[in-house]
Amino acid sequence: MSSTSVPLHPAGDGGRDLPAEHAVSGALVEKALIRWHFLFAVGFLLTSMASGFLVSLNFIHAYPFPGIEWFSVNRLRLLHTNEVAFGFLVNALVGALYYAIPRLTGRRVCARWLGWVILVVWQALMVATSAGQVMGFTQGVEWGETPTGFRPGTFVLEYIPVDFLIELGAVLLAIQFLVPIARSLHKRMYVSLWYISAGLVWLILTYVMGNTLPEWTLAGSSGAATAGLYIHDLVGLFLTPLGWGLMYFFVPIILRQPVWSHALSVIGFWALAFFYPLNGVHHFLLSSIPMSVQYGAIISTMAVEIVVTTVIVNFFATMWGKGYALRSSLPIRWFYTGMVLYFITCLQCFFHTTLTLQAVIHFTDWVPGHAHLVMLGVFAFWLIGIITWLWPRITGHEWYSRRLNSWQYWLSMLGLMIMFVDLLAAGVVNGYMLRNLVPWMDMVRAMGPFWSVRTFAGGMILLGQMLWAFNLTMTMRGGRPYDYRSDLVLPDGADARGES
Amino acid sequence: MDRFSRVLIVAGILCFVFAFVLSGLYPYMITDAKTPEASIAELAAVVPPVFKSLKDADPSGFVAAFPAAAGALSPLELLTETPDEAAVQAGEAAWRAVYAEALQRGRDNYIADGCWHCHSQYVRPVANEEQRFGPVLPAANDNNALQRPVLWGTRRVGPDLTHEGGLRSNDWHLAHFANPQGTSPDSVMPAYPWFLRTGFQVRRTIAPEVAEREGLDPATSYPVPGLYATQAEAQAALERVKAALPSSLAAEQSRLLVAPGTSFNGRGFSLVAYLQWLGTWTPPAARAAATGGEP
Repeated sequence: MSSTSVPLHPAGDGGRDLPAEHAVSGALVEKALIRWHFLFAVGFLLTSMASGFLVSLNFIHAYPFPGIEWFSVNRLRLLHTNEVAFGFLVNALVGALYYAIPRLTGRRVCARWLGWVILVVWQALMVATSAGQVMGFTQGVEWGETPTGFRPGTFVLEYIPVDFLIELGAVLLAIQFLVPIARSLHKRMYVSLWYISAGLVWLILTYVMGNTLPEWTLAGSSGAATAGLYIHDLVGLFLTPLGWGLMYFFVPIILRQPVWSHALSVIGFWALAFFYPLNGVHHFLLSSIPMSVQYGAIISTMAVEIVVTTVIVNFFATMWGKGYALRSSLPIRWFYTGMVLYFITCLQCFFHTTLTLQAVIHFTDWVPGHAHLVMLGVFAFWLIGIITWLWPRITGHEWYSRRLNSWQYWLSMLGLMIMFVDLLAAGVVNGYMLRNLVPWMDMVRAMGPFWSVRTFAGGMILLGQMLWAFNLTMTMRGGRPYDYRSDLVLPDGADARGES
Repeated sequence: MDRFSRVLIVAGILCFVFAFVLSGLYPYMITDAKTPEASIAELAAVVPPVFKSLKDADPSGFVAAFPAAAGALSPLELLTETPDEAAVQAGEAAWRAVYAEALQRGRDNYIADGCWHCHSQYVRPVANEEQRFGPVLPAANDNNALQRPVLWGTRRVGPDLTHEGGLRSNDWHLAHFANPQGTSPDSVMPAYPWFLRTGFQVRRTIAPEVAEREGLDPATSYPVPGLYATQAEAQAALERVKAALPSSLAAEQSRLLVAPGTSFNGRGFSLVAYLQWLGTWTPPAARAAATGGEP
């Protein structure tokens, strides 16, 4: 026994005599579905990052495939954004939900066969999306570029109607996970389930809105207002609630510490539900959208920052006294890094949504810097943490190399920090050059060094994920049986197996 | 609170709807709902010379891309032929149909190739953008079919294109799509060879005295309209040009040559038509106000 007072659980895994938060019971959780969703997620993460890296090479005049239509830089950019959002994030979220929902509700998901249908259909749709985008069947709505299949603005079908099928997939996902939530064994609904059930319903609504209205009915400034709403709702009403929902699930079970304040977490949820969707128009400030609407968006964006602070306070209070977890547990480190970056992201929003800063930083690399902080630094980091925590439990094998996971963390984290600071600086320089009427090409030349650093940072991040993918594969193929005690969060010097 | 969980899920949906009404429906109600969206046919009602001259630069290629343009008379054809009034009217109707088609296809290519990722169509009344790019446009200017989906963009790696129409020549765009670094050194824009068609063309070198006076390379040449698939066809075209030269210009015969050349294909013609259209359209209400009620 170690000298600490941390209670230890009996050895073994796989649903024998473990407390619920540590055992993966084959009966309750669909392990195979989780594994496949995670595998596809990691696959899309790699292809997405590879295309992002290739696009960045174009900016330093080193693009390896110039003049090939299907490898056009701007089409690869679509792969970068769409594969990371719908290929990586959605697959990883769904995989994590297959683990979390049955444990939170005590019920299995709606149907195993439905899970396989969703898995296969979703991957087919992602391939159809990527293929359609390199062939030129895209929509001109940011984050809504998935091919609608119809010729823009008409009912002439010229490609697979991916949009329609994704919408169908979103409905199936909602059925798959809302049924166990509705049949939950627990009388009280834990905050995770608030977030997750709302996120699943909002995804259906958001996706319909963003992929129909700006394309089919609303032109110009009113189209822009709706498109902005869509961009923001997809992050704010789908990724954010699902992400936080999973954090409220995984952080307490890994730390083995209840959430500091459940009441505060529910307040955070409802404040998010109210303020977040009102932010949309802040993507098109200083435009011909009525100023009253723009001011409304700015004020609710600032309100979101207050909400975010309550959530962050709750999580850091939860970890109070267990700070050593950041050293000893890689998933916890991913989660809390993501939370700090989330706070920075939202703080950034608070300031750059003001018209004063908008005038300078809009249209510059500041915005991609911000977007990378959210999509990679927050949601991808959280999901990487979740996959890292679950992978040995799903496969039953001890990690091929824990050191590689650590390398992945530091390469991704430092790479992202370099990229973020670099793009931020580039944005400010670019913004002032725009304002000061510097000749256009001088401005592009001035961006050169920043873009080189970005490519370097992107290479670090890509390398980190490649190491991870290798590690995941080797772990899956075999190795020592996994002992859950190697992931128990203990103070420095303590050892779960009593070999201190 | 838990007793009301189902009620509160409805509240979650209401939050979504409330936001949609406030930041989606409300701006629509007070701006674009007041006037109908301009159709592409309305936008293409006046066909600018810059579009018609695309046919002059490459007659066979243009007609291959837009069969309806066969009967549409280009500026050069109007000068060299003597059509009757009816033919001119019919030609003008054909032009409008071709122009509408070109604008639509051009906009589709603008989306398909992600032009809007690097080029905005969104001048703001701040940061000296009006000095750099031109006037800020009111919402009514964007209430048209070519701005559905809206192509304002969110990033400027390249310049804003709101007022791009007429700013540069078709030939500049041709050279630029073939090799952006040729027209804008150090540009990060990739080349778009799939908007172009390569072949052979007849070129005419500049007169030696002009070269000497202007300090130009005497081998400088400029293209005679038309692009041909094979060298033999271009040679035949050269002979036709030679034969058509009046005797007073006999000295020019020796200055004609056949060389590899480039023109737009259907996609390129459409895209350049769209680019040359940007910023040239004004909504009827604004036109009426500007001219004191006169249409």
